[in-house]
Amino acid sequence: MNELEKKIKAKIPGEDTGIEIKRSLCAICSPGCHCGLDCYVKDGKLLKVEGTLEHPYNRGKLCTKGAATRNYIYREDRVRTPLKRVGPRGEGKFEPISWDEAYRIIAEKLGTVKEKYSPHSVAFFSGYCKWYRPILHRFCYTFGSVNFGTDDSTCFKSMDIANSLTIGAPGGPNIPNTNTFLGWNYGGYYSNHLSVGPVQALKERGGKVIIIDVRYSPAAKNFADIFLQIKPGTDGALALGMGKLIIDNGWADMDYIGKYTYGFDKYKELVQNYPLDKVCEITGLNPDDVFEATKLYATNGPACINFSASALTHRINGLQTHRAIICLGALTGNFDRPGGNVPSFASYIHKRGGFTTREMEFREEKRPFDQLRIGETRFPAWDEYCDEFQAMDLLRQIEEETPYPIKAIVGFGMNAKMFPETDKLVKAFDKLDFFVDADMFMTYTAKYADIVLPSCSSLERGEMKAYEGGYLAFTKPAIPPLYESKSDVDMLCELARVMDLDDDLIKAGYEVCCDWMIEGNGVTVADLKASDLPVKIQTAKPVVPGAYLEKGCRTPSGKIEFYSKAIAAYDPKYGLNPLPDYVDPLFDENDPETKEKYPFHMIAGIRIPNTIHSRVHEVPWLRSLRPDPLCEINQEDARNLGINDGDAVEVSSPYGTVRLKAMITAKLQPGVLAMAHGYTEANANVLVGRDHLDPYSGYPGFKSLRCSIRKY
Amino acid sequence: MKHVFTFDPDRCCACSSCMIACTDQNDIDLKAGEKCFRKTYDTEVAFKEGGIYCAYLSTACMHCEDAPCIAACPVGCISKDSDTGFTIYDNTNCIGCKSCAMACPFGAPRYNGADGKMVKCDGCYIRVKHGMKPACVRACSFGALDCIMEEEYRNSGSDKACNVLIDQANLRKKEALRRWR
Ligand code: SF4
Ligand code: SF4
Ligand code: SF4
Ligand code: SF4
Repeated sequence: MNELEKKIKAKIPGEDTGIEIKRSLCAICSPGCHCGLDCYVKDGKLLKVEGTLEHPYNRGKLCTKGAATRNYIYREDRVRTPLKRVGPRGEGKFEPISWDEAYRIIAEKLGTVKEKYSPHSVAFFSGYCKWYRPILHRFCYTFGSVNFGTDDSTCFKSMDIANSLTIGAPGGPNIPNTNTFLGWNYGGYYSNHLSVGPVQALKERGGKVIIIDVRYSPAAKNFADIFLQIKPGTDGALALGMGKLIIDNGWADMDYIGKYTYGFDKYKELVQNYPLDKVCEITGLNPDDVFEATKLYATNGPACINFSASALTHRINGLQTHRAIICLGALTGNFDRPGGNVPSFASYIHKRGGFTTREMEFREEKRPFDQLRIGETRFPAWDEYCDEFQAMDLLRQIEEETPYPIKAIVGFGMNAKMFPETDKLVKAFDKLDFFVDADMFMTYTAKYADIVLPSCSSLERGEMKAYEGGYLAFTKPAIPPLYESKSDVDMLCELARVMDLDDDLIKAGYEVCCDWMIEGNGVTVADLKASDLPVKIQTAKPVVPGAYLEKGCRTPSGKIEFYSKAIAAYDPKYGLNPLPDYVDPLFDENDPETKEKYPFHMIAGIRIPNTIHSRVHEVPWLRSLRPDPLCEINQEDARNLGINDGDAVEVSSPYGTVRLKAMITAKLQPGVLAMAHGYTEANANVLVGRDHLDPYSGYPGFKSLRCSIRKY
Repeated sequence: MKHVFTFDPDRCCACSSCMIACTDQNDIDLKAGEKCFRKTYDTEVAFKEGGIYCAYLSTACMHCEDAPCIAACPVGCISKDSDTGFTIYDNTNCIGCKSCAMACPFGAPRYNGADGKMVKCDGCYIRVKHGMKPACVRACSFGALDCIMEEEYRNSGSDKACNVLIDQANLRKKEALRRWR
């Protein structure tokens, strides 16, 4: 090999090698992330990726999934053309059709459902990767349907609602200025890789870290000064017990409580029911450890708490558990102070850039109000704080057709495996007159659709994206769209034209819509596109801790609410509690028969490095890291059941059964099982009952359910 | 500009981002049975007296100073890169005899599925010569894996060079792990 050949083989960018670095972003996981990507491109082909060092968000870093981008976008099951189903639903038999034909069929079918039933009988549903949501949401409203739904029905939003009820704002931990980080359910490494650096820095400057988790995770090993390995779903009891310790030991900040909070006396009364010995009985923790952890959090301030978007709220007591945890910040005066939990609001699609866009107005101006959304009136807190339908009621409404039928679904990246009793949901699709799904891949869900539209990846399109620190970006395609795929927003704008929707903005195209949404910030899409990196927005303001409390919280009382006035106002028929009391995470599965038959506590949906929801299980490089779906089981339990590492096991619940392999570990406590979700051949959510739901938010108890396990 | 790979087990989590990056950089064809040059471990070491140590490790060629693989190769495929000090190879003459793998204490050499010729981690020495970090290092979000100049390494007083790490990892950690188990 000569020098040039060596350079080409090593993929060194340069004129001589013909390899160019093009900037894009990774959109594999939640839009709360989306790391900047350096794409090594030659002749329109992607050769490799790296994180963009100059990117203000990820500073060169990528996680395992993002590192596999090349293998992800060149997956063999990419949808190449628009497709029309020719076999039974789910079989996966399709024939290619043209874009024009696809649009024509969609327009006709949606029009028919609208005429025969009503526009609300068409449900619009978005899964990952969310970037097109403002357009789809408005499209749905312009079409005339109240039914826009997303994976928010099972992810993030329950925590967000608990925040709104209690403090009226989101409140992330301000780790760079803290002394003590209470890493409640904090995993970091496998789910939010950029959160790890600040915790490492905290440890290096002598700060303290408490980790509370059901698993002895890498974060527990690498960071914990105190590790509380808690029984699954009992976190609410722990939080109330900690509240009592804080009050009893005089660690509460009474000035702060007097000035900024509401309902303290009632809360104080409530926590009397949670003395340390009782709390330790419920949680399985050692009283000394709980005392030390509480003392550390309450006295070594400023202290902040990890707010868990999924792990805690994926339990049917989850919303109240999160409320109970927020209350600790209120008790100790750690909410809205430097180094505590600091409120900041989203600028655009979950990203907090410190500036405002008209994302909300963009859809609100078209919103219809002439029908109840799917699930409306079932979960009062959801109804009040979220303008989407609660998808956990979708299956019931398709089946029962009450209060009105659902006859068509317009899905973008829809993931049926997100739904409890997935098998029943896909069966119910038979009752639909029409189902269109746009996706990059021929997914489990897409196989049930009548029409499948090929979406391109983030590398093949331009998209607008806000970033922390006051940044906004508009990416340019690093490579052209593969095959006949298109950007999701282009599909929507083109379809709006074919359907002649009454919406000049959407018909004018994505970039015009973006310009409309960012108006008032002193930049245009054209300005953003002129830069390869995110652009600093002049209107962006840094968060000033304390300012929010001084202005008054966005809660009914204007204060932090130990006692929620909003919950108190809900119809008593729901039986909801304005105080964040604890209930058993299995309260609906505790009858003696179920207990005996299904003795294990299953956590369905743990994070592992090489998967995220259902999105990358079929990426060969990532799959190679853990080729089989695994059920983790404690070594003593395994010994008692005669299960060896790697044995084929069958896991059952009253609702379904999955077969996978056993992984024996000491990281889990006896009596607990854990598995990752999203596998087609071992879909965790067939184990979850459709009514195993949090009565406040409608969130499924994915991470606390009863199961049995046996060798087969 | 001799370079040293360093590894800090207290920062690693076996996320295997480094493995994916190596696969991406070196076009490793997993489907054809090829193996990544780097390998990670997520293992639980049980102690006799009870409790476990969770070992998260990432290993590849150690680029041994006194590399036994070099002498073991009968046709002289393996050599030291004079700039970086990495153990590199030219497998044009490789006869697939696997002597290098037998000599290597870490099982670093691999063999192509197609022609049976030896391939291995070359420290991404071409990248390093062009001022870039090795692909695996670049992909580690947590600072567990690094590659620094020898001088910098000596001045840092660190003891985390990959080629001396193996014996230390387990022993040093015993105390920390006992606490919660
Ligand atoms: S998948 Fe990983 S690399 Fe991609 S955006 Fe999410 S965190 Fe970043
Ligand atoms: S990327 Fe870093 S943390 Fe992840 S396995 Fe490799 S060395 Fe460990
Ligand atoms: S191949 Fe093995 S013996 Fe040779 S330098 Fe690498 S680790 Fe050392
Ligand atoms: S240095 Fe290069 S070849 Fe060696 S393990 Fe890292 S990425 Fe692979």
